[in-house]
Amino acid sequence: MADLDRESILALDNIRLDLPVAGVGSRCLAGLIDGFAVALLLVLWLLVCAALAIWLSGAWGVAVGVAGIFLIEWGYFAGMEIGTGGRTLGKMALQLRVVTSLGAEAGAGALLARNLVRDVDYLIGVPLMAYDPLARRLGDRLAGTLVVHEGRRRAVLLGRVPPSWGAREVTTVEGFLARAGELRDAGARDEMARLLLARVERDAPELLAGLDPRARGNPVEALRLALAAEEG
Amino acid sequence: MDYARFLRQRRPLWDEFARRLARLPDAPARRGGPPASSYAEVEELAFAYRQVLHDHALAANRFPGTGAARQLSTLALAGTRRLTRRSSPWRGLRHFVRHSFPAAFHRQLGLLAVATLVFGAACVLGLAVAMVQPGLGSLLLGRRALAGLEEGRLWTESLTTTVPPAVASSGIATNNLGVALAAWSGGLLAGSVPLYLLVLNGLMLGGVIGITLRYSMASELLSFVAAHGPLEITLILVASAAGLSLGRAVVAAGDRPRAEAMRQAGSDSLQVLLGCLPWFVVLALVEARISPDPSVPVALKVALGLGLELLFFGVALAPFRAGEDADAP
Repeated sequence: MADLDRESILALDNIRLDLPVAGVGSRCLAGLIDGFAVALLLVLWLLVCAALAIWLSGAWGVAVGVAGIFLIEWGYFAGMEIGTGGRTLGKMALQLRVVTSLGAEAGAGALLARNLVRDVDYLIGVPLMAYDPLARRLGDRLAGTLVVHEGRRRAVLLGRVPPSWGAREVTTVEGFLARAGELRDAGARDEMARLLLARVERDAPELLAGLDPRARGNPVEALRLALAAEEG
Repeated sequence: MDYARFLRQRRPLWDEFARRLARLPDAPARRGGPPASSYAEVEELAFAYRQVLHDHALAANRFPGTGAARQLSTLALAGTRRLTRRSSPWRGLRHFVRHSFPAAFHRQLGLLAVATLVFGAACVLGLAVAMVQPGLGSLLLGRRALAGLEEGRLWTESLTTTVPPAVASSGIATNNLGVALAAWSGGLLAGSVPLYLLVLNGLMLGGVIGITLRYSMASELLSFVAAHGPLEITLILVASAAGLSLGRAVVAAGDRPRAEAMRQAGSDSLQVLLGCLPWFVVLALVEARISPDPSVPVALKVALGLGLELLFFGVALAPFRAGEDADAP
């Protein structure tokens, strides 16, 4: 059996499944976005209570306001995660999701437990996440949960590959084609594409044989056509 | 098998699995309602999931880092999350009150005894210090409250004279709920926060009783706390015991791995805490409306206090059927 690293679980039929665990940086960024969301909710709530105090009575406005602030502070994270299957606004923005340590959907009890200890995690959660390979804070350890990246990153898949190529060559070309549109230096981009085309021509000249001569003027497009690249 | 052939042969299956997964309803079918998917659909989905897992294993081994391996990893994870999720352990309020909460409460009785001992010892210490050290009064209650005691007035009268009952109820409820949540969650710091709260509250209560005894106002104080005091103290003790169980799992996990001990302690103590939280709201209403009201007879306040205490322990210590308490997170 292959060595299992700590980010792996054994799924059905004992098949190794890697969990794309979210690191401390993305977790903190999501937390920051949620912090802004909580602050915004509190401001909105105070405005509602001020209106309530004018329409009903000052005492009721204050009473409802105090209860609402408590609920927002303690209930935002747990309520959002239970309502959306493990996501808050910050996690949605960064495409993160809470799952169990086995990759399954976390239940309401686990989501409640991990969020009710958030105050303690404000003290020691960040160093714990930085130290732990699975980036778990105390709440995650208590509830048996992990936070994973769930977004599908843009990927390019090659439909034709020279027979001698292995995973390294495929990964290089797929990575280049996925990012080619983002490269600002057109000269450098075309130069890299020409180098890759030369490699294709050396290893499998038949892939370039039927290429439209007009496409040769655009080496990135030529590479795409030669290797039948598609968005995944 | 080369990469391109692998993609050509298997990719339609991955796309079909992704489509089926997207069509899967988010919420599980309601009990008694129509099933969310037919048996054949579920079987096909499970078969496709198994094929995706196998392809993922092959791609991770033969083509690591490629677009296909990454796509399959995302797909396999999404399938695992959607297809292996447990049905909701929540079996309704009635089940929680009659089975889950009493079962979890029974498992924490030992720590409740420890919490009671610590609190009691701190209370006796506070009482003794207040009796021998009169200067403690201004430290605990402030000069204005002491001046009031000298004039035969309890500081608690301000609850009815300066703050409307609605505001007082809301403030008391959120404060007590905050203390209970802090006592529980702070247990993760090796049990230090619940221990601190037990000692602090015990010292405060003993000290306040001692001071009112010195001013011959203890009976007035006891008539004020008679309605809400017993259950309020009980709930703080229970929440602290729940926090201590987390601390015990962190410090002394025993034979089990610490992660497993923490999960079990978290599950039990969370159920105990959730069972206690609604009582804080009831207590806040009693404390803000009935306790400070001089028109309510003391006997009635005592009866209410005892009644609430008996009701809570009646629910918490109710017999439950073994094996019916599986509301774990």
